[in-house]
Amino acid sequence: MKGCGNTLPAYCLILSSFHSFLLSSLKSNASLNSQPTNPMKKLLTITVALFLSVNFLFGQNEKYTAAMTEAVKDFSVSENKEPNQAEWQALANRFERIATAEPKEWLPRYYATYAYSTLAFFGKNITEKDQMVDKAEALLKEAFAIAGENSELMLLDAQVHQARMLADPQSRYQSEGPLFEASLKKAEALGPDNPRVYLMKGSNLYYTPEQFGGGKKVAKPILEKAVEKFATFRAAGLLFPNWGQGQAGYMLAQASK
Amino acid sequence: MKNILVLILLLGSAPLSAQTLLSGQVADRKGNALPGANVLLKGTYDGATSDTLGRFSFVTFGKDSASLQVSYVGYESFERRFVLRGKPQTFTVRLEESASELNTVVITAGSFEASDEKRMTMLKPLDIVTTAGGGADITAVMQLLPGAQRVGEQSGLFVRGGSGQESKVVIDGMIVQNPFFSAVPDVQQRGRFNPFMFKGTAFSTGGYSAQYGQALSSILSLSTSDYASNNGLGVSLNLANAGLNYDLADEKQSLSVVGYYGNLKPLFALVKQNVEWTREPEFTGSSLTYRLKTSKTGLLKAYGMYSNSRLGMITQAPLDDETRTGIKLSNCNAFTTSTYTDSFAEGKWRLLSGFSYSYNRDETTFDGSNFGGSDERIQGRAVITRVFEKNNTLLFGTEVHRINLKTAFNDQGYALHDNYAAVFAETEIYLSRKLAGRVGLRSEYSSRLNRFNLAPRLSFAYKTGEHSQVSLAAGRFYQNPDYRYLYKNPDLNFERADHLILNYQRIKDKRTFRIEGFYKNYAQLVREFTGQPGSLPRFDANPYRFPWGQTNNGGNGYAQGFDVFWRDQQTIKNFDYWITYSYVDTKRLFEQFQQAATPTFVSNHNASLITKKWFEKITTSANFTYSYTSGRPYYNPNRGDGPNDNFLADRTPPVHNLSFSASKIMTIKNNFTILYLTVDNLLNTRNVFTYRYTPDGQTRYAVGPQSYRSFFVGMQIMLSKKATVISSDL
Repeated sequence: MKGCGNTLPAYCLILSSFHSFLLSSLKSNASLNSQPTNPMKKLLTITVALFLSVNFLFGQNEKYTAAMTEAVKDFSVSENKEPNQAEWQALANRFERIATAEPKEWLPRYYATYAYSTLAFFGKNITEKDQMVDKAEALLKEAFAIAGENSELMLLDAQVHQARMLADPQSRYQSEGPLFEASLKKAEALGPDNPRVYLMKGSNLYYTPEQFGGGKKVAKPILEKAVEKFATFRAAGLLFPNWGQGQAGYMLAQASK
Repeated sequence: MKNILVLILLLGSAPLSAQTLLSGQVADRKGNALPGANVLLKGTYDGATSDTLGRFSFVTFGKDSASLQVSYVGYESFERRFVLRGKPQTFTVRLEESASELNTVVITAGSFEASDEKRMTMLKPLDIVTTAGGGADITAVMQLLPGAQRVGEQSGLFVRGGSGQESKVVIDGMIVQNPFFSAVPDVQQRGRFNPFMFKGTAFSTGGYSAQYGQALSSILSLSTSDYASNNGLGVSLNLANAGLNYDLADEKQSLSVVGYYGNLKPLFALVKQNVEWTREPEFTGSSLTYRLKTSKTGLLKAYGMYSNSRLGMITQAPLDDETRTGIKLSNCNAFTTSTYTDSFAEGKWRLLSGFSYSYNRDETTFDGSNFGGSDERIQGRAVITRVFEKNNTLLFGTEVHRINLKTAFNDQGYALHDNYAAVFAETEIYLSRKLAGRVGLRSEYSSRLNRFNLAPRLSFAYKTGEHSQVSLAAGRFYQNPDYRYLYKNPDLNFERADHLILNYQRIKDKRTFRIEGFYKNYAQLVREFTGQPGSLPRFDANPYRFPWGQTNNGGNGYAQGFDVFWRDQQTIKNFDYWITYSYVDTKRLFEQFQQAATPTFVSNHNASLITKKWFEKITTSANFTYSYTSGRPYYNPNRGDGPNDNFLADRTPPVHNLSFSASKIMTIKNNFTILYLTVDNLLNTRNVFTYRYTPDGQTRYAVGPQSYRSFFVGMQIMLSKKATVISSDL
């Protein structure tokens, strides 16, 4: 035993990685349709002229909505089951293509970031995982620049920090953990009725070992709140984030066992 | 009407231009298919994802000039302009890999890094804390790494045949004047710093960068962490001390405060001591760490620590009451360091600036005679780095120190001051992804010596394969002679060492192999002549003597050898082990030596085996360390010390040590708790570090460890109620 000074040996544990998605709850998205009506001849000419000019102006917007609707539909399908790398890469690519064509829209970037943070789990080593998280971060930065800070983006920010940490949990626990917490806190402050906030809190607690203050018992009340909020939540628009109800239900069932 | 309707339908829904089929294949430079690549036509929604064979095809309604863009994570983006002619077109796309840690070479010769941030490192900071036998003391664990030697009864880092003076500890770039607790005879002191303060540890065993100097053998570079956790109050309790720590953090700033009181009396009552204590060590201390994010890129860190301690012991040669001496030591130490780092022009320029002040006072008496002293060091440092593309860098820096030393020897007082300054420049160039070079130049000035020096440094690394590389380092290193010599002789020159180091390493799938060979040439070492007129000089083996003889820089020496490191974290689940072996052959002519000989702190063979296993179900980690140190030379007065006698020819027996440590994580009443236990020298081996002789030269006695088999237990509790992500920071 050597002469003593500040003897404080210390410890840090591996966080068990999580993210198992299961089971179904398909969401159907209504598709937009418009039908020209059949007026009298004069009205027809005027309407045709208007229709052609307006079609030109909103043609781009329709294209955006159509493409996003399809992509978000496929996103919901993928999000409700066990993640498949090829599927998520294809989704990430689709959203990124839309994002590149529409520099003023934050939603395609939102979904692309989500896709890349999911793809990080498939990385074979720390460097590959980090490369995916780098991509997610870059897209998220663009989204923030367009939309500013809102509850969904802050939640996504927390998710990206989590992916960063899980690439090398033992070492990054100390640095990424507090950043994850801070973003989650802000997401709740900006959107206290956002059900995904409670889903993320609850699932994080569910997978945190009991010795660290987590576990099923602690997670259950939070997951119950998530399920409640999902039941009453109305998204701001058809393309806005609306995922996670299935996950929350499943996880609550697991936590109640 | 019908016709108009048809026209409307045609105009409204049909595109005005024809559709074109675009297809092709995406592959890397060697032709291997890249599935999942994103292929798109710039400015449109048209595109596709490449399939498992790298093939893609999609239809576009665009016209005229277009740009095909292909991107794939980990590779450089591809863009090609072309013209849409209405006919189908195929493309063969070849993507270039982006530079990453996996495919880019890293300069590693002479350096062993434990870092969270860099990938090609051998250890993580966590490894330091969990190594058995280390006692969570950084330098104790560094002694288990290749290149380091274990000298059981002395404090400091002994590297590749160099003495403890030849290694410096540096925190955030600045030299630490008193990294260890104050020395008392034959009791090895531990480092003053808590390993969890640091995000990275770089242990250089030679050939280090031009940014550092004043160490002939090695630099232990510690980097403090940039973040603090928001943990609230923590309590630490063990057989040696009781402490409190409080952490507070928000987005912009953080504050950590630590306070502790220690008394080794209870521990020494339980663990039999080989030292006769008149007053068991008692100590108190406190520290404060403050971090502030001044901007998106700027970070200010300030650390301050104050501690004091008291102890009393008796030393004597066995069976010789005449040599019985009572030693009393009362120490106080204050240390503060602050750094400011920032980057400008989007990372093109980086600034690191630091300031540090330390004051250490030892009130030491040997039988009432004053043998104490004080050290004071003030230093400032600034480094500016220009970052070019492809990670090439050029840096310039300077450091200025003022050192005030006072010492007393048998009531005689000495004092000296030194103004030390250095400037350095270094560039790191990646000639290709596979070949990197670092060239630097350092110049130093010491006012006490009133001399300048110029030291070039050079290192290269070449990536021989996907997982392996070869690295070389060479350079000249200067150091002020031991200040004890400078009290009497201000005309001395810098001591010098030239290094040449070559290493090969391979890291694949969590298995690491590394072999490194070195040659060091020493020059201008201080020699002391203790001959009196009319009689031959007699070697005085007392390691605590005050050098009173004539001195000059006429000494020289060499050190050569190699070390091997193997680590495997993969083969057995949750089991991590590493093996190191170091060989050194060294002789030098220095100090009182009248002929070149292997110094007494050198052991030719050092080997260690470290194992760690994590038991998931009981959240417990159990670690073993076995270390072997071959015999060291010791002075035998019966042999004589002239050039033809067998000076320092005797060797002590080898030293074996098997130690064990375990830690368990649990919650007590919702409070996160860690319990730990260590047993050192499990086999109760009666180790001998060196031999001394009684003044009459007749009886030899052994100098060994402070205690043989010893144990230590403790716990750390977090009183914070935070339920979400918790980081344990002790």
